[in-house]
Amino acid sequence: MSALGLILTLAWRSVLSHRVKSLVIGSLLFAGTFVVVLGNALLDSVEEAMQALIVDSLAGQFQVKEADTKDQLSLFGGFGLGSADIGDIPAYEDVEKAFLAVDGVEHVVPMGVTNATVFGRNEIDQVLVDMRDALREGRPDDARLGAERARRIVEALASETATSEALADAATFAKTQEAIRIASEPTFWQAFEPTTSGSTGAPDQDQARDPLGALDFLDARIAPLASDGRLLYLRVIGTDPQQFVKVFPRFRLIQGQVIPPGKPGFLFNESTYQELVKNRVATELDRLRKGYERDGDRIADDPLLQQRVKRMAQQYRRVTFQLDPQEAVTLEAALRAELPAVEGDLDALVQAFLTVDDSNLVARHDWFYAHVAPLLPMYDTPVGGTITLRGFTQSGYVRAVEVPVYGTYLFDGLQDAGLEQGSNMVDLVTFRELYGKMSERAKDELAGIKAKVGVKEVSRADAEAALFGGGGEVEAAIAEPQVVNVNLDAVRAQDPFERSFPPEDLRRGLVLDAAIRLTDPSQAAALRPELERVAATLGLEVLDWKEASGLLGQIVTVLRLVLLIAVAIIFLVALIIVNNAMVMATIDRVPEIGTLRAIGARRSTVLGLFLTETAILALVFGGLGAGTAAGLVTWLGQVGIPAPAKQLVVLFGGNHLYPAVGVDDLVFGLVAVTVVALGSTLYPATMAARVPPVVAMRGSN
Amino acid sequence: MILLFRIASANLVAARGRSALLGSAIALVTAMLVLLLSLAGGIEDNLVRSATTLSAGHVSVAGFYKAKPSDATPLVTEAAAVEAILRENTPGLDYIVRRQRGWGKVISPEASLQAGLSGLDYAAETRMFGQLELAAESEYVKDGGASAPGDFTKMQDQGNILLFVNQAKRLGVKVGDTVTVQTETQGGQTNTIDLQVCAVARDVGLLSSFAVFTDARDLRELYRLNDDTTGAFWVYLDDIDDAEDVMNHYRTVFEAKGYRIMDHVPAPFFFKFDGVSGEDWTGQKLDFTIWSDEVSFLLWVLTAFDTLTWSLSLILLAIIAMGIMNALYNAVRERTKEIGTLRAIGMGRFQVLGLILMEALLLGLMATSVGAGVGAVTALGLDALHLDVGVDAMQVILLADTFHFVVRPLSLVTAVFLLTLLTGVAALWPALRAASLRPVVAMQAAE
Repeated sequence: MSALGLILTLAWRSVLSHRVKSLVIGSLLFAGTFVVVLGNALLDSVEEAMQALIVDSLAGQFQVKEADTKDQLSLFGGFGLGSADIGDIPAYEDVEKAFLAVDGVEHVVPMGVTNATVFGRNEIDQVLVDMRDALREGRPDDARLGAERARRIVEALASETATSEALADAATFAKTQEAIRIASEPTFWQAFEPTTSGSTGAPDQDQARDPLGALDFLDARIAPLASDGRLLYLRVIGTDPQQFVKVFPRFRLIQGQVIPPGKPGFLFNESTYQELVKNRVATELDRLRKGYERDGDRIADDPLLQQRVKRMAQQYRRVTFQLDPQEAVTLEAALRAELPAVEGDLDALVQAFLTVDDSNLVARHDWFYAHVAPLLPMYDTPVGGTITLRGFTQSGYVRAVEVPVYGTYLFDGLQDAGLEQGSNMVDLVTFRELYGKMSERAKDELAGIKAKVGVKEVSRADAEAALFGGGGEVEAAIAEPQVVNVNLDAVRAQDPFERSFPPEDLRRGLVLDAAIRLTDPSQAAALRPELERVAATLGLEVLDWKEASGLLGQIVTVLRLVLLIAVAIIFLVALIIVNNAMVMATIDRVPEIGTLRAIGARRSTVLGLFLTETAILALVFGGLGAGTAAGLVTWLGQVGIPAPAKQLVVLFGGNHLYPAVGVDDLVFGLVAVTVVALGSTLYPATMAARVPPVVAMRGSN
Repeated sequence: MILLFRIASANLVAARGRSALLGSAIALVTAMLVLLLSLAGGIEDNLVRSATTLSAGHVSVAGFYKAKPSDATPLVTEAAAVEAILRENTPGLDYIVRRQRGWGKVISPEASLQAGLSGLDYAAETRMFGQLELAAESEYVKDGGASAPGDFTKMQDQGNILLFVNQAKRLGVKVGDTVTVQTETQGGQTNTIDLQVCAVARDVGLLSSFAVFTDARDLRELYRLNDDTTGAFWVYLDDIDDAEDVMNHYRTVFEAKGYRIMDHVPAPFFFKFDGVSGEDWTGQKLDFTIWSDEVSFLLWVLTAFDTLTWSLSLILLAIIAMGIMNALYNAVRERTKEIGTLRAIGMGRFQVLGLILMEALLLGLMATSVGAGVGAVTALGLDALHLDVGVDAMQVILLADTFHFVVRPLSLVTAVFLLTLLTGVAALWPALRAASLRPVVAMQAAE
């Protein structure tokens, strides 16, 4: 029998004969391997899921942007509230050409991210727009009907603004009251009375009959008092919509259509649309039902849910105020049939209806959508309508632009991620108007074109307004404390659906960053140096998906760090414990070792024997631990781990994480455990090897 | 009992090699636990400190005013009357400040950012400026000097603004520069005001990304509000732990005086607009919250970190429990003869059981005490070093840009108690084994 064979045999016997020691050490090794393999496999899976999600939804395999800018690119938003300054890509067309020339690059998609605010439109705004259209198109009767509606709103405002005395400073309050007083006078409304045909009044009477002037007054002084709308802050991605949809497989259209080529347009993120634009009573009912069905929330068990139900019922006006008299009658009859026990008017009926409990939640939700929803405008901004986006330009101007809403979309896997990750989409031409900064080349180009067609030079102060002409206006310049009224009518005067631009304009002008999609994603690492070389010549830098997603990308790194520290601590403690157990075992075995030495075993043989024992334990129990972890991960990979909170949806790459174990995880776990185990045996083994034969024999007596 | 104690100590000393090894493992785990608990304490401390400096008082008294049902204006009208009631009805009151609240864009020639605007009355702020520290210019200006320009006392005049390092850096401004603050109202009005940067303070955790300070009068002008209207009262108490009691007390007091009060929702005021604007009342309602409500969106960090600490500790505890069990099992086996003898001379089973348990507990107590001491000293040392966190994502978790440790006596006691107890539990099986030895057999086995 060879020496190695002998050592193996002896070691195996020893492992079997010291059962308690073997079991203790073995179970520690088992647990250690289990934790390492499980933790690594889960983290690898998280990273892969996130990568797939981010690469296929927004980032591409790489992003390029200007090098050395003040802020880092953060495609999914950071926690700061400022708009990041990530520079811009000068001469985008050349950049696109340069990268497409690299073998393996399939697409280059121009992009940019900014923030926009949106005011929910209130009733008086709508009325004034209708009146203006009627006047412009020569329908005085419609204008007069509009004036009737406007007058009723002013009456309501008169009583409401009277209560604001408690709040406002004296000057503002006086100004408000003055505006209301003017608009309440009967003479004010005479402006909208149709003139008797043929007769031309005196000049001063004509003055009095200045309907457009009266409209301007209503717009400027009255409409702002009716602050009914809600203010939305939206993250907006500017891109080439047609190309984006083709290139990013996670894009999924939910409603409407993709922004057509050469058209300015807007796509809502479906989460934003459902949570912020939808009728709030409907949103809350949706949420309650989702919680009930998906998460098993029960109203009866949860005081917070009970409060939400109570508050939802208090919001009955969001239903009743939206109905015209005929619809109100219809709904009242239907509700009375549905809730025969409830006394009172429509308001009371709706309140009672909205006071849901666990037993009727689902039925009421269905009933709401069957009977109430068809009567309501369910969304502040319907698909097919328009939205007025307001952006703060880099220089602090406020810009407004009205664009058609073509539809809503989602990224597959982010359905339940919540609003934080929701980006809305516009065409790049509209984006530039909101962002309000042109690349140098675009300015030069424009100057060149102007020179050709002989446009007069504009003064520097007007340049911004002139350059971004589009539908926007410069609304407020920075100045001393002042109140500037926003006049959106000039914007609305043009039909946004009619506007268009040459499709190649998407690639001409300001682009902040660009996504690069490769023909073969597995070549990403190999292609990076070449891409970086091209980027360097253009003054750009290349970022991978992790670097481009800011905070989100760092999370995986942090998690890995936490796991590493935790495993290091666990192994350190395990090492001490195993060492301790081995030392005690060695003391026990002094006679045995002495005998071995006495019959001619060398020190190295004893050392080898001890190390082999540990190696056997490490392989057997470590193998078992790795196997169990692999089994668990594989099982989880089939059933999926549901994301426990919506913040984790992004990490999981969807609502469920389907982890898989890699060979590298197993190998790493086994190697790590074996090294730790051998390390902890080193001291007891040398101790054993030092036992002199004589002492050992004596000890056994 | 004393006899048991003496035998147990003698045994521990006799097997000092093994005791030392096992003891050091227990001590190490204790130290680790103490360190993690101190870090968790540090995170909580960061949260409390930044929250009560920047976002809320110990108790906040705010509310909404609705001129019409669809409004949701976060204001308190007739503020003087409310303040008088607060002053009379606060047990353990330290002081009260008023905060004007706003939301807007701060614009410099280089950049802009959205921030919560806090309007304050310098004279009333006895505590806040003590919590803030002027930043060295080099912290926010490239090639800036080591001196810390700026002057907090300028905040007593109108026309000034206090920024934090992260904001000054982003805006590219330094002390003395002018920024424009712009707010939008729901009616589509844009109001602006120019303010001079009078001081740049060091960041106070993450929340300082969102807050800038200015004079309350400036904000009132910006929003066209009268003098008797404020955003919120921040009430500071002698003991922050009384906050919840005081809040509940306020609810009764104000209700009795005929004020209308909003249901308690543990969320910051800016989460409440949507709900309030849909409710059908008009006029004033007051809203009472405690500091943690106003930063409830950050509390998950504490929960996550605590979960991590305790699950890691649990794994470690399981590991050392096995070690203890093994060690004592060996000890019992080695001492079979001794135990047999003890039993033969009349020691009862329970006394044997007690002896082994006593040994374990004694070892546990000593080791955990040493470990807790080492952990505490390490934590204090690390805290004094002000180590940079570095990674942004880590800053989000720790709520600060440096590592901060707070050693609480309670967490030391918890660690010592818990781990000693565990040692005892782990010793149970070997001790029972020892107790079950029959004297004759035990003495024979030893032959």
